[in-house]
Amino acid sequence: MGETARHYYLRKHNLAKAYINGTGCISPQNSIDSDWFFDEVHSPKGDYFEAIEPSYKDFIAPNLLRRMGRAIKMGVAAGNIAIQQAGVKNVDAIVTGTGLGCFEDSERFLLAILDNDEQFLTPTSFIQSTHNTVGSQIALIMKCHDYNFTYVHRGFSFESTVQDALMLFDEGKDTILVGGIEEHTPNYILLNRKANKFQVREPDMPIWMSEKRGIQMSEGAAFFVLSRNKTQSSLACINGIQTLYKPKNSEDILKKLHMFLSSHRLTLSDMDVALMGFSGDLIFDEKLKSLLPEIEKETTAGAFKNVCGEYHTATAFAMWTATKIIERQQLPKVLAISAKLPSKIKYVLIINQYLDINYSFTLVSQC
Amino acid sequence: MDALIEKLKGQIIEQLNLAEVKPEEINPDSPLFGEGLGLDSIDALELIVLLEKHYGIKIQDPKDGKTIFQSLRTMAEYIKSQGKS
Amino acid sequence: MSQKVYITGLGMISAIGNNVPECFLSLSQSKTGIGKIQYLTTRYKDEFLAGEIKLSNAELADLVGDQNPALNRNSYIAMLAAKEAVLNSGIDTKDGLRTGVISSTTVAGMSKTELYYKDLFKNDEHLDVLDTHDCGDSTERIADYIGNVDYVTTISTACSSAANAIMLGCRMIKHGHLDRVVVGGVDALSKFTFNGFNTLMILDREWCRPFDENRKGLNLGEGAAFVVIEGENALNHRKGKALAELIGYANTNDAYHLTASSPEGFGATLAIQQALALSGLKPTDIDYINMHGTGTPNNDLSESKATVAVFGNQVPKFSSTKAFTGHTLAAAASIEAVISVLSLQNSMIFPNLNFNTPIAETGLIPETTLVHTPLNVILSNSFGFGGNCSSLLFKKA
Repeated sequence: MGETARHYYLRKHNLAKAYINGTGCISPQNSIDSDWFFDEVHSPKGDYFEAIEPSYKDFIAPNLLRRMGRAIKMGVAAGNIAIQQAGVKNVDAIVTGTGLGCFEDSERFLLAILDNDEQFLTPTSFIQSTHNTVGSQIALIMKCHDYNFTYVHRGFSFESTVQDALMLFDEGKDTILVGGIEEHTPNYILLNRKANKFQVREPDMPIWMSEKRGIQMSEGAAFFVLSRNKTQSSLACINGIQTLYKPKNSEDILKKLHMFLSSHRLTLSDMDVALMGFSGDLIFDEKLKSLLPEIEKETTAGAFKNVCGEYHTATAFAMWTATKIIERQQLPKVLAISAKLPSKIKYVLIINQYLDINYSFTLVSQC
Repeated sequence: MDALIEKLKGQIIEQLNLAEVKPEEINPDSPLFGEGLGLDSIDALELIVLLEKHYGIKIQDPKDGKTIFQSLRTMAEYIKSQGKS
Repeated sequence: MSQKVYITGLGMISAIGNNVPECFLSLSQSKTGIGKIQYLTTRYKDEFLAGEIKLSNAELADLVGDQNPALNRNSYIAMLAAKEAVLNSGIDTKDGLRTGVISSTTVAGMSKTELYYKDLFKNDEHLDVLDTHDCGDSTERIADYIGNVDYVTTISTACSSAANAIMLGCRMIKHGHLDRVVVGGVDALSKFTFNGFNTLMILDREWCRPFDENRKGLNLGEGAAFVVIEGENALNHRKGKALAELIGYANTNDAYHLTASSPEGFGATLAIQQALALSGLKPTDIDYINMHGTGTPNNDLSESKATVAVFGNQVPKFSSTKAFTGHTLAAAASIEAVISVLSLQNSMIFPNLNFNTPIAETGLIPETTLVHTPLNVILSNSFGFGGNCSSLLFKKA
């Protein structure tokens, strides 16, 4: 890091935090139920992990619902739940992240073009295929005229929303809705299976010890109402987030992690839990595997993709999990890698990797 | 004309994915847009394709939809007038 | 808290040229790049016009100097424009300062996916499109092509995408996260977008006529444009030269309709007003507006009304340059950022082609010939589906 960057980097860090005041989470688990806390954990059927979807009529008006693909429904419903929990009427910004966007509508329009030789096409699926549809639809429903961004960068899609929210708080915004959304279609799953991207996991083999290639792809949506200042409904706090693009090796990751934590005047031993993004793929997980002993020396390591599967915005599920862990002051057994469980949980660190390309650190704390 | 209106009801419900609406609830003379069925400009474009797909009628200017799609009856009358029922 | 942010390098490939000097020549000769469809495979190629880049994929691969079969048209043109911007700025990404790439795109790898999607089910030959279809692909290709990039992300907010990439890059520098960022957008023409806009019935079969009473719609284009933006500290550190200063930006939402703009241009008005407020300038400080001006009945009326709402009876000189390049979707705002900087540098307003009759409701008349006039501040608007409205303000450096 050069002098210029270091100067600003150090100066920055007494800056904005984000308080989490409401969450909504649709995942392959029963996370839509606010009382669910990893008590009953579903296993994937085969190599794909489908989201458990709610009855959308409870969250979305029928005249809107008739046009929406699954990603939009999942996103709008999860956003709605988060907003209700936070008890806010409006927000100052809506920032969403999605790796693939509204793939169902994209595919529907594409197939219509290919099947009918570009004739008799209707606009609805084209309109809904746009990546920013979820954020726009929420803005339309809430009549929110403020800032509205959608990030679409692979394993950084959700991280970018949080990064942006932290800057927006610095710039004076008070309440922000952020969320990550991912959906897949039967065709997309079939093609990825054909390309040998999946694995069927052996039930007794922990995800962090897997010696096979392939991930267990899945989908879901997790939304968060964030605020600059602590409120009565604050559940937890996001202290910071950082992304790493193609780190060279696990030493490189560890060095950057130490820098990240020290910029918050913390060390690894201050962490009570470190949730790590093991995906079950031997190659993609290699760096995290080398990192694991270093992490376990200082804190309790955990996993989360054995519960939510792998997708571009899986970190959104991890952040929802971190919030719950802090709320309940308990690391669920199913997530624990280390044998020793923490008794008191102040800091939860999320260390994610996506396809060994996109890495990120997210620090969530008790507030 | 009545048979055509009934046929149109089914086609509109299918094209616009109006799962909550039953054919008998649509009054042939109520407005399709705004009040009545509460359709909007995206639906108008869908209806233009419906006319092309099922009746071979091509509408080039979306503004023409305003008069044609006032109600089910005006839609049916337009199809008749084009000799395409 | 913040340092000034400057534009220090330009890169662009579009229907009017394969690099910035070629594009500048076409602009100053009033030469449009929109014509008969030559490269896109579509049954409508004789019915509609488009602003295509005049190079095949094989020719683009040669220009990039990479024959990797996984690359698609979106990546080729993104890599070319981004590299041009980096070379133009003279930055050295190996000097230890933090460099970011923030790109934007709407349909990403679709131009290739749509060619092979059906085959994917039958054979294994093109399964690599699964890895290159998404929006992040071209951004990471740019980052690896430039080398030594610390930060990447991608934005997709339809036709305002690149404006938001520029705005985010600027904010990341001001917040101290990065020292300089390569920002912009890219969209290769695809059957998917072409048919999409056709279903919305907003394509003109002739040359588009922005702000004309008889306008019928837009012409689609394709392109990529990137600019290097640097904080003043990083720029002073390497004793580099600024081309323009980025002094204002805003993003708002119309929250009116998923595709159409509100009749009174509410979101657009807010975006322009907020960008002005951030810069501390008054409406009368604006010398020229590079409009979104797509040529659709809805956009141009709504944007005209927003312009009148902000500027009253003192509307600055304005034009839309979409009749040169076509509407390049995610790339539009960065293409127009490059054009705005060229305007500032050369004291030139590029004309709004194909205009005859003012819109009756507002009576606004754009510049229709090349105008030589000193310019100090330019406003550039970009609006997209989902009510996304962005405005940027550029100042002569």
